[in-house]
Amino acid sequence: MTVMPKLADLLDQSFDPFEIEKLSTGDADDPYPRIHELREKGTVLKGSYRTEFTDVPDVQVGHLEQYMVLGYDTILKVLTNPEVFGNRGAFQHTLGKSFGRTVTVMDAPEHTRYRKIFQKAFLPNTVAKWGETFVDPVVNRLMGAFIDRGEADLVEEFTHHYPFQVIYSQLQIGQEQTKVFHKLAIAQLLSAIGAPQGPEATEKLGDFFRELLAQRRADPGDDLISHLATVEADGERLPDEVLISFLRQLMNAGGDTTFRGTSVLFTGLLTHPEQWEAVAADRSLIPQAIEEALRWEGPVSNTMRYVNEDTELDGVFLPEGTILNMVLGSANRDPGKYPNPDKFDIFRERKVRNLAFANGPHVCIGQHLARLEMTRALHAILDHTRNMRLDPDKPAPDIRGHLLRVPDHIYVKFDKA
Amino acid sequence: MKQWMCVQCGYLYDQAVGDPMGDVPPGTAWEDIPDDWKCPDCGAAKAEFEMVEI
Repeated sequence: MTVMPKLADLLDQSFDPFEIEKLSTGDADDPYPRIHELREKGTVLKGSYRTEFTDVPDVQVGHLEQYMVLGYDTILKVLTNPEVFGNRGAFQHTLGKSFGRTVTVMDAPEHTRYRKIFQKAFLPNTVAKWGETFVDPVVNRLMGAFIDRGEADLVEEFTHHYPFQVIYSQLQIGQEQTKVFHKLAIAQLLSAIGAPQGPEATEKLGDFFRELLAQRRADPGDDLISHLATVEADGERLPDEVLISFLRQLMNAGGDTTFRGTSVLFTGLLTHPEQWEAVAADRSLIPQAIEEALRWEGPVSNTMRYVNEDTELDGVFLPEGTILNMVLGSANRDPGKYPNPDKFDIFRERKVRNLAFANGPHVCIGQHLARLEMTRALHAILDHTRNMRLDPDKPAPDIRGHLLRVPDHIYVKFDKA
Repeated sequence: MKQWMCVQCGYLYDQAVGDPMGDVPPGTAWEDIPDDWKCPDCGAAKAEFEMVEI
């Protein structure tokens, strides 16, 4: 039997990246009043989104000329014009340092080639099969730990764990390593604030995946790594460096975002009990509830693009080399597209697609898996509980952060079904 | 159920919904969508779509 490689912990084992992470993702209680103020001044404004909400310096791109893009139509225009507004220049000093050579850091034609191979593993017809095999067992196991109690913290006991555990199952990483794995996955992003644990985590995850990839290539199984190691598009396989970089990013792109998306979905519905009841009574409303949660508080509020050549955007001149902050959270609350945009309303009329997963050639590869996981999580809660409501004796959920928004707790009470 | 799917991003074309933002009204059959129409999620060409079983 093959022995799983051992993932080395950080040298400073007391280092807690989950606490430090907030320095990077922010602790803002509600950034939307400021976002609305900014959008009213103009759709393209000089400055960085991050510095609006935190004094913690961005050591990677904080010194570069930056503009914020705030209007829905303008953001869509940028995201769908990758020749002028690229990814490589924007991410090579940020996510490129944390994850390596991922598709996020690539421009066409390299991006087009590799994206197609990765996307093949995450197409809707593929991930649909993972609902029963990967997602449901994790969801049921976590729920089993609190279902008899009649009360729970849905974040600490459920949403903060299930998307990561789905990834562990897909990669077939043993339970004994998951704690370190989660810690390093979060720590690798801390390069943004200059923490030495950032590059340390990047290197250690790389060593681990390199060894695991060699094992799975030699003896392929039915796990995601074996699949990615052998999948082809147009007769081409993925180079090891590109695949290892993707696996580094998987925890953050696939775990962190779904954890936040699901937490926001529960928060939106439970703070609007009439909408929770409506969904409980008619499960066909789940897709529109998920879309509203993604619009209302998308998992990632801001992404970046790089101006590849001198250009003009909504009358504002942007020199080559400018970093653009694409404030997705602003697009999704643009009152020109969504009347009464701050309101969580699963019944709102949807004339335009929300940009929670961005748009254009870099639209989120994992969006279909994220929606599947959110759907399965909500179904499971509705299947196994009745009368779920916020615990009146505990603090209400408080969504915080300016970049990756999530409540720390969702205290609930319920009856067992 | 079979649907047309973008192989670049996984977007599924739903005839009942169409793509109003892309000037494709609800109810438009796949064959009637112009060849220069692009995927509303990733911008891929119509030729990048395949019929798949969902």
